[in-house]
Amino acid sequence: MIDASERALLEETVRKAVANASATPGGNTPVDTVLATLGWLDLLEAAPREALDIVFGALGHANATATILDDVVASALGTPPRSDLAVLLPRFGAWDPPGRIERGRLRAHGLASGRVATARELLLVCGDATQVCVEIVPIADAEIGPVQGVDPDAGFRAVRVERGAAVARPVDAGAWQAAVAHGRRAVAHQIAGSCRAMLALARSHALERLQFGRPIARFQAVRHRLADALVAVEALESALAAAGDEPNPDTAALAKACAGRSARTVSAHCQQVLAGIGFTTEHAFARFLRRTLLLEGIFGCADDLLLSIGRRLLSERSVPALIEL
Amino acid sequence: MALSEIGNRDSQARSRELAAFRAALTAWLDAHHDELKPRYALPGTLDEHVAQMQRVKSILFDAGWMQQGWPERVGGRGGSPMLRTELGAAIAGRDYTDPGLYSLIEVLAPTLIDFAPPELAAEVVPRLLSGAEMWCQGFSEPGAGSDLASLQCRAVPRGDPANASTWVINGQKVWTSLAQYSERCVLLTRTGPPESRHRGITAFFVDMNTPGISVSPLEMINGEREFAEVFFDDVEVPAERMLGKLNGGWAVAMSILPYERSSCFWQRIAYLYSRLQRLVDLAPADDRSAEILGNAFLALYALRARSRATQHRLDGGVALGPETSIDKVLVATAEQTAYDAVRRILPGVIETDDSPAGQVWRSEYLYSRAATIYGGTAEVQRDIIARRLLELGSAE
Repeated sequence: MIDASERALLEETVRKAVANASATPGGNTPVDTVLATLGWLDLLEAAPREALDIVFGALGHANATATILDDVVASALGTPPRSDLAVLLPRFGAWDPPGRIERGRLRAHGLASGRVATARELLLVCGDATQVCVEIVPIADAEIGPVQGVDPDAGFRAVRVERGAAVARPVDAGAWQAAVAHGRRAVAHQIAGSCRAMLALARSHALERLQFGRPIARFQAVRHRLADALVAVEALESALAAAGDEPNPDTAALAKACAGRSARTVSAHCQQVLAGIGFTTEHAFARFLRRTLLLEGIFGCADDLLLSIGRRLLSERSVPALIEL
Repeated sequence: MALSEIGNRDSQARSRELAAFRAALTAWLDAHHDELKPRYALPGTLDEHVAQMQRVKSILFDAGWMQQGWPERVGGRGGSPMLRTELGAAIAGRDYTDPGLYSLIEVLAPTLIDFAPPELAAEVVPRLLSGAEMWCQGFSEPGAGSDLASLQCRAVPRGDPANASTWVINGQKVWTSLAQYSERCVLLTRTGPPESRHRGITAFFVDMNTPGISVSPLEMINGEREFAEVFFDDVEVPAERMLGKLNGGWAVAMSILPYERSSCFWQRIAYLYSRLQRLVDLAPADDRSAEILGNAFLALYALRARSRATQHRLDGGVALGPETSIDKVLVATAEQTAYDAVRRILPGVIETDDSPAGQVWRSEYLYSRAATIYGGTAEVQRDIIARRLLELGSAE
């Protein structure tokens, strides 16, 4: 565990480095390089909570593109992460393992970060709720296609693998759940960072934009939208702090669901306050909106997560406290 | 986020201490369930609810639980205020008392402890805790709701304000919960010029049996007469009943906020969890219910996460301030979302079910509509958030 002052220093360092790197486009994912130099993999191993919170928060805040979600998932699956190992993520909105082994054939499809374009190998998880195994295949076995979609800058690829099943490593079924939980927290922290940034943009605009002879921040309708946006961000940050204090699949799923809900609330209010300029690509808001739309679907959208959580409440006929004072 | 990390090690130690307290409390409550559970038939009258609360407080006081987390100088047993938060949450979650009535302790006793002459606090606080007395809070007036600083109920000294032995009070309060049951009232009065706003307010601790006080209960939307109008007609109050300084009443009013926004909210959350549990027990096992329940659960869980962090900050010595308006918005939203879920999942229950259980749901549903009004309206909270947290300047 690191103390509060170390944490603040680390946060400032990471924020600055990520912001600088993402402000100079071009080059091969410079944010990844900067993070590697800062000791990202050591941090992930030694202080996973801070790694998720500080680093993914910084990515979200700067709307930076990196591929380190691959490291989070690999690490949770018990595979030492490395920069030439890409990870196959579930397809948009899904959270089941992306691969299946049937009659000796391995079939998998899903999304992958931009790392898949340069990696040597691809880690993929096959199985269902009861039996899970991890397989590492040469990248040449993967069919990789670009994803333009709502956010081409995010660098995601659509990946399909079909080959004979080799020597898949069986893992505990809980390992996939743990990987999903870590992935959810990472993505939710990134969304929280984006939400903070969107709110800062809308706040500045509200103070600077004059209409009817005064800043629009003076109008209660505008103030209340921004207040609701702050409530949504802080609710998300509380859910993330609770998931850090009590790390388990349930608290991670709730944090991710909260991230989806908060991102919609914050982006809707901020876009409305930004009005015309927020509707253009001249303003930074558009990039944040696009990124959060995409991130909401990584490891499950809020609606699907909450339906799944609701089904659990009904099947167990129990409302768990999950966190205590 | 950084704030939630401060004192992290201390807060982990506190969590362990609370877990031990909770385990002991749970075992004791389990063993005394028959004694503590309500003796009236549901839904019960307000008279019965109030009597039940005082009975429960008295049992808990005799067993030493009620004193936990209160300072020793008022008869408490010391320890973190979070101990009494745990107690309040446990008894609200078990339906031994209504959390709204019970949480008045948290908005009244700290005022006496912080602002009353020490001998007075030592004399009266144990009476509140043990259920021997009920107190009420005389803040709002017909012309002073969200704008509390405009209150007009007047206190005039008999003679020179600095040496007067008696103050005379004239005016009216409204929305005073449980006034008709109360022995005492923490009352805010105007002592400065009419336009002195928050600089000219003084608090008094008034005995409700003083001549000149009349109480007229108001019927709420759910049919209960929980709050009242209170009229003051030449009511004489001894000067030693002044709480805090002359014209220092605003500080008294504001000092309640940390308790109202921490302990009271945690009790409310425990109660809302118990209602969601009741709904989960009754809901049809279909996806429509699952979706509604999942959303209501998230609202409640996010609130719980927020409130937990707030209380650990308070416990770690942070002075709570305008950021608790976020907790207030979340609690109001979660409560209304939960009861909206009841109405959506149990069709016709709120509207047409006259069974005892139906009457309870109906009363609670209607009461939940006030969650965005009492304790500072949703609009006032959002304006505080905009002005103080987002620093958007003043509204027009």
